[in-house]
Amino acid sequence: MINETRIITQLKDESKKEAAFNTLVHEYQEVLYWQIRRLVLSHDDADDVLQNTFIKAWMALDDFRAESKISTWLFRIAINESLSFLEKKKKNISISSDVIEDLTSQLMSDPFFDGDETQALLQKAIAQLPEKQRAVFNLKYFQEMKYEDMSQMLGTSIGALKASYHHAVKKITDFFQQND
Amino acid sequence: MNEEKFLNERFGNENPFRVPEHYFDEFPQRVMKRIAHQNRRRKMIRWGIAAMMTGIVFSSAFVLNNFRQQDTTLEADNTQYVEDALDYSMINNMEIATYLTEAE
Repeated sequence: MINETRIITQLKDESKKEAAFNTLVHEYQEVLYWQIRRLVLSHDDADDVLQNTFIKAWMALDDFRAESKISTWLFRIAINESLSFLEKKKKNISISSDVIEDLTSQLMSDPFFDGDETQALLQKAIAQLPEKQRAVFNLKYFQEMKYEDMSQMLGTSIGALKASYHHAVKKITDFFQQND
Repeated sequence: MNEEKFLNERFGNENPFRVPEHYFDEFPQRVMKRIAHQNRRRKMIRWGIAAMMTGIVFSSAFVLNNFRQQDTTLEADNTQYVEDALDYSMINNMEIATYLTEAE
């Protein structure tokens, strides 16, 4: 676990900035990757978004005020980059029900997806949620993140997050009840 | 929440996604390389803008200076024209002054 105060000081020092940023990348790459991957699903897309996340963070380093933890700041950039990516993808290809219909077979043929058909079906159910609700569901269900931490990361109230999660769970359950 | 319990019992919360081998070993080097390339580009753009501004300043000074010299030449030309005209009419300055004083 890195010392946040020390790394922030090093990031403000031009002679130590690059080395300090390299440390940040090593420390947070995996946890950010999995957050992104659960949203964008494909490894190649997740790789692109993760690179963009760190590049955006590098460009915005001078604006980082240490009002939040550096990890929270990075998570926020990663979520925003993922949501922007999904929005752009939606504009380029119309997300019709056929595309989501195909998702199960796409995942099953993806060499970087290890789950069975049930798992693929769960991902298909999650893919039907609006993007931000999907992010909330993934963070709570898979990463068991506390609402307080999520609220800082997403800039949304705890009450709204709880409601969003509750609705997401209901929609996914309904999906399986209709498709069983 | 019963629905959450239903999902947990049916699907669990394990991670079904995988990454290529050595992905996280190689990723930091790839992203730092992109950042170094970005820094070089930004430096070149800054130098380019500085060079362009210097060029604009010097060009403007040169052009303005040229215009001022042309004005001085025109004024000298005009004066010479009037004096030539007076010579051709065979009128001298004393005659002009007398005429103007008498006219008042």
